[in-house]
Amino acid sequence: MGTLLIILRKEFRGFFQSPFGWILLSLVTVMQGWSVSSAMKALQDAPIPESLVYIVFHMPQFWFYFLALFPLITMRLFAEEERAGTLETLLTAPVQTAQLVLGKYLATLCFYLVLWIPSFLQFQIFGLLTDLDPPFSTGSLGGVFLLIMLMGSLFIAIGTFASSLTSSQIIAGVITVGLLFIHYFLGYITVIYGDQFPAASLFHHISASEHLRDFSRGLISSSTIIYYLSAAAFVLFMTHHALNYRRWKS
Amino acid sequence: MIKVDNLTKRFGRHSAVSGASFEAADGEVVGFLGPNGAGKTTTIRILTGFLPATSGTATVDGLDVSEHPLETRRRIGYLPESVPLYRDMRIREYLRFRGHIKGLRGDSLRRRMDEVIERCGLGDVRRKMIKTLSKGFRQRVGLADALIHDPPLLILDEPTNGLDPNQIRSIRNLIKELGESHTILLSTHILSEVEMICDKIVIIDGGTVLASDTPSNLVSTMRSAGRISVEVKADPERAREKMSALDQVKKVIHERNRGNWGEFSILVESGTDTRERLANLAREEGWPLRSLHRHAATLEDVFVELTRKD
Repeated sequence: MGTLLIILRKEFRGFFQSPFGWILLSLVTVMQGWSVSSAMKALQDAPIPESLVYIVFHMPQFWFYFLALFPLITMRLFAEEERAGTLETLLTAPVQTAQLVLGKYLATLCFYLVLWIPSFLQFQIFGLLTDLDPPFSTGSLGGVFLLIMLMGSLFIAIGTFASSLTSSQIIAGVITVGLLFIHYFLGYITVIYGDQFPAASLFHHISASEHLRDFSRGLISSSTIIYYLSAAAFVLFMTHHALNYRRWKS
Repeated sequence: MIKVDNLTKRFGRHSAVSGASFEAADGEVVGFLGPNGAGKTTTIRILTGFLPATSGTATVDGLDVSEHPLETRRRIGYLPESVPLYRDMRIREYLRFRGHIKGLRGDSLRRRMDEVIERCGLGDVRRKMIKTLSKGFRQRVGLADALIHDPPLLILDEPTNGLDPNQIRSIRNLIKELGESHTILLSTHILSEVEMICDKIVIIDGGTVLASDTPSNLVSTMRSAGRISVEVKADPERAREKMSALDQVKKVIHERNRGNWGEFSILVESGTDTRERLANLAREEGWPLRSLHRHAATLEDVFVELTRKD
């Protein structure tokens, strides 16, 4: 357990010891703030029967910066170690592959959660500045942040997996983007082809945009929670094997 | 300390190591020699637990490296060939991280860090970023990392590769010093280095161990130990015939003519001295004799003889 924490701490600090982490944090803050202000503009222009939280996370900006985050924060993880040869020094120290995978994964997840702090604060600021009741329920705010965390846990696992496949950060990033886009658009299969085929419920089940719609209304479903967490665990398991397999081959 | 038994590693159809066996006793400094691509790095990677073997066993301190990967890694200080480091870390920060993942904590870690920084001559640069260091200092940082958990066995893969002569000398002196208290497996293809530092030499090529002995034994048992050069003024054909007829002479080669003088190389059985009989022969035949010289074999001769492909 000690080793895992040491790796986690080193990786987490790594995000803040280069300009990379700070640049990303500021860009994400800007995008989140922009989403909030354009959502308020939309509410001002016309009555919408949804909460502020729902509208913020259904702005066109959201999926753009959201899906672009994951390749950026994960592509470095193993690809860079492989390229620099430091994977060899790590795995010839008394470190288990599982500790390394989990340490890096959890560190990235922690950094990802830090990226959502500004957004959380922005929702609090509304109440502070206006003295009005916030135009959203605790349930929808909690639901959205729970889903953000759940999607993050799977998408970071996918990025970690892609990074373990190659020594090129670019390739790892491209694979991550590809897999995330495919995952996202699989959720639209039922929109394109309708519900009249046997596997339609499967596509509803994994549709990220439907999850977002439900969770941002405060409708939390345990099957969605289980879907993201079990898929994340499975992808991490594959990462572990991909790393070992790569060493065994080359 | 190290025992490698019939070790084989195949990558697809290509065998990088095939049936290699050798040993290193406690406290020995073993030179691990071989041409590029001989299987040195692969063998080392199996020993350090980075690669699994296809078959055969490797043990460190009596523990099989594939069955007890963590225990054996704790006993090994490893410096990989390319000296991979985190470029964006400072030296102390890097050594602290490496010490941590090798299980050192608190006071004992601080003490070990001070010790290895002192020992590897990193005192003046200890706060610098690794990416600003010269190659020689990076090598020292790698070595400091290998030493930090005070392992009884050091495995160094071409530690002087790419350094300038002064840096080579200082790293070599450091290794020599370390050899007094550690078992060292030193992979290199610089032969003078091995002659200076090592108690024992393992020569590997094509994935198999060709020789494993002390440097002096290797040199004295080699065929090249028995090469004699002669220069006589005589008819080359006749001279060759006559010299070949002597006992214990295996082969006579007519190298070249310099004016009337013919130069011959004579291979004789090792452990014999044929020079006196050659001198007598020249006198009897009335050949003027200008030089008669027995070559002292070097490790280079041994190495070339064992590993050349032609």
